[in-house]
Amino acid sequence: MRQCRRFVLGLLLLICLALPGAARAQHDQLVIGISQFPSTFNPLIDTMAARDYILGLARRPFTVYDKDWQLVCMLCTRLPTLGNRMAIPETLPGGRIGVAITYTIQPGATWGDGVPVTTDDVLFTWQVGRHPQSGVANGELFRRILSVEAKDARTFTLHFDRLTFDYNAINDFQILPVHLERAAFAEPAEYRNKSLYETDTTNPGLYFGPYKITKVVRGQYVVLERNPTWWGRKPAFAKIVVKAIETTPALEANLLAGGIDMIAGELGMTVDGALAFERRNRPEWTVIYKPGLSYDHITVNMDNPALADRRVRQALLYGLDRKSMVQQIFQGKQEVANSLVNPLDWCADPKVKTYPFDPVKAGRLLDAAGWSLGADGQRRNAKGEKLSVELMTTAGMRNREVMELVCQQAWKRLGIDVTLRNQPARTFFGETVLKHAFPSLALFAWMSSPENVPRLTLYSDMVPTKENNFAGENVGGYKNPQMDRLIDAIEVQLDRDKRRDLWYRLQELYAEDLPDLPLTFRADPFILPKWLQGVEPTGHQYPTTLWVENWRVGE
Amino acid sequence: MRGLLRHPAAIFALALLALLVAAAASAGLVERALGIDAETLDLAAQLAGPSAAHPLGTDEVGRDLLLRLLRGGQVSLAVGLVTALVAAAVGTVVGLAAGYFGGAADALLMRLTDGVIALPLLPLLIILGAVDPAKVGLPPELFHSELASLGRIVVIIALVGWTTVARLVRAATLTVKVQDFVRAAEALGARPLHVMTVHILPNVVSPMIVAATLSIGNIILLESALSFLGLGVQPPMPSWGNMLSSALDQMYTAPALAVWPGVLIFLTVLSFNLLGDGLQDTLDPRGGER
Amino acid sequence: MARHLIHRLIQAALVMLVMSFLVYGLIGLMPGDPVELMAAGSPTMTPADVARLKALYGLDQPLGLRYWHWLTAALSGNLGFSRLSALPVIDTLGPPLANTAALMISSLAAAALAALPAGAVAALRHRRPLDHALNLAAFAAISLPVFWLGLVLIIIFAVDLAWLPASGVETVGGGGLVDRLRHLALPVAALALASFGHYMRYMRAAMIGTLRQDWIRTARAKGLSWAQVVLRHALRNAMIPVVTILALDLGTLFSGVLVTETVFAYPGMGKLIYDAVMGNDYNLALAGLMLATGLTLFGSLLADLLYGVLDPRIHFR
Repeated sequence: MRQCRRFVLGLLLLICLALPGAARAQHDQLVIGISQFPSTFNPLIDTMAARDYILGLARRPFTVYDKDWQLVCMLCTRLPTLGNRMAIPETLPGGRIGVAITYTIQPGATWGDGVPVTTDDVLFTWQVGRHPQSGVANGELFRRILSVEAKDARTFTLHFDRLTFDYNAINDFQILPVHLERAAFAEPAEYRNKSLYETDTTNPGLYFGPYKITKVVRGQYVVLERNPTWWGRKPAFAKIVVKAIETTPALEANLLAGGIDMIAGELGMTVDGALAFERRNRPEWTVIYKPGLSYDHITVNMDNPALADRRVRQALLYGLDRKSMVQQIFQGKQEVANSLVNPLDWCADPKVKTYPFDPVKAGRLLDAAGWSLGADGQRRNAKGEKLSVELMTTAGMRNREVMELVCQQAWKRLGIDVTLRNQPARTFFGETVLKHAFPSLALFAWMSSPENVPRLTLYSDMVPTKENNFAGENVGGYKNPQMDRLIDAIEVQLDRDKRRDLWYRLQELYAEDLPDLPLTFRADPFILPKWLQGVEPTGHQYPTTLWVENWRVGE
Repeated sequence: MRGLLRHPAAIFALALLALLVAAAASAGLVERALGIDAETLDLAAQLAGPSAAHPLGTDEVGRDLLLRLLRGGQVSLAVGLVTALVAAAVGTVVGLAAGYFGGAADALLMRLTDGVIALPLLPLLIILGAVDPAKVGLPPELFHSELASLGRIVVIIALVGWTTVARLVRAATLTVKVQDFVRAAEALGARPLHVMTVHILPNVVSPMIVAATLSIGNIILLESALSFLGLGVQPPMPSWGNMLSSALDQMYTAPALAVWPGVLIFLTVLSFNLLGDGLQDTLDPRGGER
Repeated sequence: MARHLIHRLIQAALVMLVMSFLVYGLIGLMPGDPVELMAAGSPTMTPADVARLKALYGLDQPLGLRYWHWLTAALSGNLGFSRLSALPVIDTLGPPLANTAALMISSLAAAALAALPAGAVAALRHRRPLDHALNLAAFAAISLPVFWLGLVLIIIFAVDLAWLPASGVETVGGGGLVDRLRHLALPVAALALASFGHYMRYMRAAMIGTLRQDWIRTARAKGLSWAQVVLRHALRNAMIPVVTILALDLGTLFSGVLVTETVFAYPGMGKLIYDAVMGNDYNLALAGLMLATGLTLFGSLLADLLYGVLDPRIHFR
């Protein structure tokens, strides 16, 4: 079989070489494969990585984190800060401190139909964003804006109800064209279905980026062509096609068969899929692994009596050889995580406590916690109860299932009884994790973002309960006043050095207390053709397509 | 049963099935012989080729492929057999009742059967596979065991799989119940339940066996399709279906991982079909040759 | 006949009603909601946002009430908006329906074209080596897991040989009829193979049954040649139950395409229904499933009518 395959491939190669130039494409078109088709195209409704990836080609946010995780301006001309006096703290009627921030829209910014982007669009967007029935996903940002003041057609001031360290980041303030969208917003509750982004997706007036969407075949692909009104550098490709192919084997087959030129890292293959691809030794493509924001960890249910003891949690981590686990599962493409802060983040503590594999120490910690090893290899407490935990995760996510199996094997060797129970993603998140309903341990990932304050996940009043209608994502039920104080302090500390100290203290506390057992940050594999240059993976949730004008055809 | 000897294909299928069942049953012995079990993973030996320690090599996390196939065989065969039995039992009860009582009961039960047949099977199975049992008031503790995912599959496939048996049994009951010995029993005052179980059931058992045998193959295929969609037997418990779907990512680098379970599913299903065909010829000469 | 038809139509309507209720209830019994998955994947969404969105999608109302709203609207012709795509359900159904129809019809045709002659030949060679071989081939075709077959086909024909595209319905930008046919080739092959086995077995059985009939012997005795008997009479009669089976198969085929569509990333009804169910898109899932049920019912009605039209007695009265 393999021989035959090789023969056929050789034959094909010969044919290709025999046709001079025919196989060499001109590269005026780029076909990108992603694993999901966006369900909506309106930039404010729902949250969806596939949509953000495609809209990155056609629209730009005001501010965004760049590949070095620094906040930069895209649609605005200059990043407002307290230092340059474009952000000015103000006292609000109730005595609270708010902030007034002034942004200026890029002078050349023009919707694809020739209408300039103006402050009218800003005002309209704010109205849509704060309306409770409009279906906007991140309503919080718009609710924090008390008023919008238009200075002229391109300059406006936002008045925020609070002053936090990330005061000037308005990444989710995705501007809408008022001249096209006003009619659709006449009935706010219907807006999510009536928006022109859904009903007339190829209307050029909806886009102002380097490209505009010119064709949409639902469930299959989106065609984008250069937008003549784009103010920036002219992008290299006349046409970009984004194809949705849902399964890893099909993605790979399409790449090999020439149906797509590259596979996006943001929404593409899993690391092991990419590793398998690399093993096929195809010199036409480069694979880049970029550590991302998906933080794989095991959340501990703090209400579990055995696990409420910090020594038991530490023992679990000491007893797990995470280094070889991560090394072997991800072939060295991912690193062991030591805390919830991504090592790429500026506030990551390089000296945070690590838990190297040490089963002896783990055993001692368990002994100290009152769980002694019996003759049957099983640890029991004074009352004779077995030390047993149930580890849960998403069914069908292979890497998680493998990590789960490794954990089970390692902890069984410590004398802990480990049972596994997996559920489909919907059940696992909807009913089990987000309702704080797993008995002991849950392995999953949080999506984070640059300098993401863990208020939702670690603050004591964010524990989901029946009383608060399961609001909050502190799903382990971790409560520590010290942690609460640190979170409160970080949010309002504007001085970067002082904030770094607070961040270090938070990470030390986290690593000592272990409300979660950190495992790894997931890497995104980008599979790019050798001739494509300038694609710079960011590692956070803002996609590479926001810098598409830097993509070039090389050798 | 002697008639079966005239069907070499059925005999061959029976032998093959015996072999497969024996192999699956011997998983424990093989584990002891190799000194490892099907769950032991060895990340240092991922996707290893065949060797003395691993006769068929290892899978993507270094588990022994042979042992996984044997354990998976236990699960797949058990799911197939148990589901077929449950479905046949339900179908027999419905068919017997409909055929024997006739009238309104018959009309009602047969309309129900028609209705179930009209349901789009796979989408329905997908919904049933995702339904949360706690929401219908079943105690959640029931679903914590590793056997629960098996039970769920058995129940949902049986729920829609009983119709063929019901129709066949009903048809057979209709012909049997007008025969003299049944009439005689009734005249002697036998209760309906007695007549049905003692006099009619033994005479409708042939179509039941044939239909059940033929359905096992279908059930194993369905289980593998459900596993492919992520709604079947849940890992780490192996089944041929979920082994196949988890091997898909490795399809290009380690085709053996996908080939083996695929071939075993194929052979098992083929054997049950051939056996069913042979049985049909032998037990049910009138309806045979279908 | 007319009475029978009316009876069947009423029955079909009843099944549809029960089915819609069942499906609505079952989706309601599915745990969680995609809004929660969205929250888990977004660092900026707050619990207040989650609650607001759930209320917006009506998820905070009791299931029975929601079903009643849906039913009354649907009966007046309003199927509502799809939640997954923010488009009216009607618009969402069109393209996948066309894709699935193309896939189903071509695989049905391919399977029937190969299976009917093969079944007839097998019957004529009953219990001889050719019959055994064909019979075994049919069983083998039935016994293959479709998705496995699909993947093997992809590996051989799309990756190794690079003769055919691995997935999708057409080359981006549209490539005309030939291009669409090339995309259809592999999924049709995978689907047709399984159907082939079934149809061949049916045809063989029907033909064997027909050849045993007394009138065949009568026809022979009247001096008709064997070829005449087979071609003019036996084949025609054997086709009747087979055509009925083909019609009945419409519904089965419809749900069977789901797995095939997944393997080949083919955007058809199966995938649409699957995605809709998984995405709690009640409106879309119901419309899709109603369509599937309707098709199945239509198939069995068609089978009934065909049987009446093609009744064997008509030929020899």
